[in-house]
Amino acid sequence: MPDPTLDIRPLSGALGAEITGADLSQPLDDAVFAEIHLAFLDHQVIVFRDQIITPQQQLAFARRFGTPGVYPFIAGLPEAPEVTEILKTETDQINFGGYWHSDTTYMEKPALGTVLYAHEVPAAGGDTQFANLYLAFGSLSDGMKDLLTTLRAVNSSAQKDRGGRARKMIAINGMKDGFREEAEELEAEHPVVLTHPETGRQSLYLNRSHTVRFAGWTEEESAPLLRFLCGHAIRPEFTCRVRWAPGTLVVWDNRCTLHQAVNDYAGQRRRMHRITIDGDRPF
Amino acid sequence: MAANGIEVQKISGALGAEIHGIDLGGPLSNTEFDAVHQAFLDHQVIFFRDQKITPEQHLSFGRRFGDLDIHPYAAGLDEFPEVLPVIKEAGDTTDVNFGGTWHSDVTFYEKPALGSILYALDVPTHGGDTQFSNQYLAYEALSDGLKATLDGLTAMHNAANAYGRNGRTDKRFDTTKQKSMTVRVGDDDEADAEVEHPVVRTHPETGRKSLFVNHVFTRRFKGWTEEESQPLLKFLYAHAVRPEFTCRFRWRKGSIAFWDNRCVQHYALNDYHGQRREMHRVTVVGDRPV
Repeated sequence: MPDPTLDIRPLSGALGAEITGADLSQPLDDAVFAEIHLAFLDHQVIVFRDQIITPQQQLAFARRFGTPGVYPFIAGLPEAPEVTEILKTETDQINFGGYWHSDTTYMEKPALGTVLYAHEVPAAGGDTQFANLYLAFGSLSDGMKDLLTTLRAVNSSAQKDRGGRARKMIAINGMKDGFREEAEELEAEHPVVLTHPETGRQSLYLNRSHTVRFAGWTEEESAPLLRFLCGHAIRPEFTCRVRWAPGTLVVWDNRCTLHQAVNDYAGQRRRMHRITIDGDRPF
Repeated sequence: MAANGIEVQKISGALGAEIHGIDLGGPLSNTEFDAVHQAFLDHQVIFFRDQKITPEQHLSFGRRFGDLDIHPYAAGLDEFPEVLPVIKEAGDTTDVNFGGTWHSDVTFYEKPALGSILYALDVPTHGGDTQFSNQYLAYEALSDGLKATLDGLTAMHNAANAYGRNGRTDKRFDTTKQKSMTVRVGDDDEADAEVEHPVVRTHPETGRKSLFVNHVFTRRFKGWTEEESQPLLKFLYAHAVRPEFTCRFRWRKGSIAFWDNRCVQHYALNDYHGQRREMHRVTVVGDRPV
């Protein structure tokens, strides 16, 4: 490793780090990106402040991590279809991403990670919380760990327990125009315990928003254990909370974290640009 | 910056504000006190940075708000029993820290705390944050039907879960691993003694209603068994701390938090093993909840 050029400071005891010393509007040389990538693997969530970047520059940075994907449910920007605008307007009541989840786990190959960039944020409020799923798995009893490694779970995009995805999306004024109502409902089965392809560490790969049952079990049979695990996964000790400002950019590792967007800014506007990066099939 | 030199900045949409331009080391003028008091009522928890105060100064700030409590189970400083040291040493291997679960302070009293003033003397490089949750918002977000039901209910509280035999302190706050604080285990009569509080209380100063149950000290609804009470209580405990009702405060040495225990729950995160954290807490006695 060359001498570090970046300053990397953890945000909490669980996960998350703020990185200073990188200008993401410029091409990063390989040594600098290697440090960023290592911080991403070490801290699961990395935060950059005061970045001034175009959608194309955000894409160029995202491509360093892998291939940007096209989100099935929302049309991207005309000039950059891989960039999705997340917008809550002053009159919207509900927000996008308000429940604890990891992104697109209903796809055969869920996102590896997500690059979210803040354009407009409330004066106070609109933070994002993250939870470390390595810690969630590691803190379970040996008996529970053994059981879970034998199980697979079904993940669905339908959000049936909350009245369905369409009902939510058309209620968000800031996003209803881009909503692709014709997109088919997606469902995928993944191991409950995921082995991270880069770190080799095991994470608890479940989330309240998308995981509907264990494979081979009914929803009713699955509910008590799923409820316990989804609650366990977000114990405060496993979390951090990021406060945004215009120009803040966050990259999270979707394979070992959950996140939720705090909806505490009624009457204020929040506009973000999101890029997801295609991942592997979980194993 | 306001005309009086005091600046108040919200830290989340739900509750919490940092106050700048006040030195708690000196006596507060009435104007300063009024500004602090108003911010406390408006934001439910207020934060000060870069303060340097002695235990005496900490106590005099607390006394501006009311009488001070001596904690019945956790030992205070020898010279100042109303100052409760909250310490986790770098060598503590306990998986339970003091205050490491959602609660409001001492609701097993007939007159639970009005508020607590926590001062950071030594903090980890990262970790050891405190989360707060606004119980006005928790109440207001319930359905009209459940609000009406809860308005008529009373809950029983006691110290058994926290400080009784086989309680949190006894079972898990292991004094062989945790040497930095002296926390006593109460005998059965003392820890099991129940007090009753309305499930929805009206704040004596703001007149607003807040949800007043917490999973550490609340045992059951009055007239119901614990088993009957569990489903609804469990729902309320989870509802009370929904992310959109919360804020999270990152401490620095010299930071002070002062929360309104009548309308706030809080949670001290235990995510800093191997690092030391030392705080001083002063607790202001409150009214009987109505």
